Amino acid sequence: MIRITLLGLLLLTAAAGCTTTNVSSHCSLALPGNLDRAISEVEQRLASGCEYQFDSYFQQLLSMAEENPDSENKVRFSDHLLRVNEMGVISQRQAREYYNRYFNVKFVSLSGDYNTCAQACPVQAEVMSNMRNELRDKQVGLLKASDDKSAYYRADHLLKEADLVLEATCRACAAGNPEAVGVR
Amino acid sequence: MNSRLLASLLLTAILSCTAASAAPTGPVIKLFPTTVLEDIRETSSVAAEMENNLQEIIARLDMQQKLYSESLCDGADGDQGCTRMAKQLGETYLEMLNAMGERLPEMERAVNNTRSSLEKRLRQELGQRTTPTTLQEQLLGQQTATGRTDRPALRGRSGVRLSDRFKQYYDLVATHKNGPSKSLAVVAADIYLDMEEASVLISATQQEIGRAALMEQLNQSFGLITPEMSAVVGGVKEILFGESSNATPIASPPYEIGQTEFVSPLEM
Repeated sequence: MIRITLLGLLLLTAAAGCTTTNVSSHCSLALPGNLDRAISEVEQRLASGCEYQFDSYFQQLLSMAEENPDSENKVRFSDHLLRVNEMGVISQRQAREYYNRYFNVKFVSLSGDYNTCAQACPVQAEVMSNMRNELRDKQVGLLKASDDKSAYYRADHLLKEADLVLEATCRACAAGNPEAVGVR
Repeated sequence: MNSRLLASLLLTAILSCTAASAAPTGPVIKLFPTTVLEDIRETSSVAAEMENNLQEIIARLDMQQKLYSESLCDGADGDQGCTRMAKQLGETYLEMLNAMGERLPEMERAVNNTRSSLEKRLRQELGQRTTPTTLQEQLLGQQTATGRTDRPALRGRSGVRLSDRFKQYYDLVATHKNGPSKSLAVVAADIYLDMEEASVLISATQQEIGRAALMEQLNQSFGLITPEMSAVVGGVKEILFGESSNATPIASPPYEIGQTEFVSPLEM
């Protein structure tokens, strides 16, 4: 009886090893050249054990979209992220972050529910730095992948306006609270 | 140093009114209550007085400078006629410095009043009553989904008299003449930062004027026209009367009209 159990465990372990190897190689295969097919392929892989590759897939899909700019790419990525969220690979919050970071004029980096003096001003330089990095992602998502110059320039303008307004607002906040000066 | 300060001061003042601007669309943010508007109007009036005061002197300086150049006086050391012209130029220059010195305290008061009132409004309205999220929405509020907006041309627009710029600015914020597509928050921020800088520069300039006047009085004995003098006069003309253009708007997006945008359910 013990022998049979041990044999069974041995076989199970071996099978698991084989499965891991298959999944791993399956996850790393090159994606098809067409963006729609690539998205479909990615979703299949994410459903079959390749969840850990999500970010890498997302970047690959973005690169493919950059090579094939199309205003519909925004929709493709939105739908893809919604499906991936439904599959449970990423949370809704993550899906929102991915989408908005690349395809929305608004900046994920400038958000929060506390007042500006308390939340953004103490880390003003960091907020601006994050927004500048995010603009680079919007350049990929909006300008290159979606060929949406108008939206990208709006984001660019928004960044500049936010920089100006934050600078003034934070100075005004600091003037009203001298102890807070220098917390940037 | 003096010329740079004067030029910077006036440039800063002109830039403050340059901030074209605004009219609210979304949530009501009271950045420009009557008191702030009155401060701006007063600054406009002080600037106009300064212009009127300096215009005749600068015209005279121009004429004298032209005569000096046309007489090939540059480098003509020892020529009595040229020395006389240089002295006259120096006197007029001193007159300009004195006129500025007289008007600067009033300008300083007006600028400081505007700065203080704007500072308070910015702190209350954008700092304490607004979150980063709503601030962004406020800024983006003027940019419609269908595209084009007339963004304020910030900082550096030239070609208009200083007092006219203040008047334009007053009109914009007081009557929302230019439609609902511009951001009051941006205008307020722009004006406030410029006023803050101007305030510092005015103090520094006041200190410098005494020193420059003394130097010029010394130069009078030698009849020199210094490059500093030319630079100051050039700067004052450019800034007060907008005689040259140095427009550097923060962005000029090629907005497209009539596009309908895809709105993802994931959008913020």
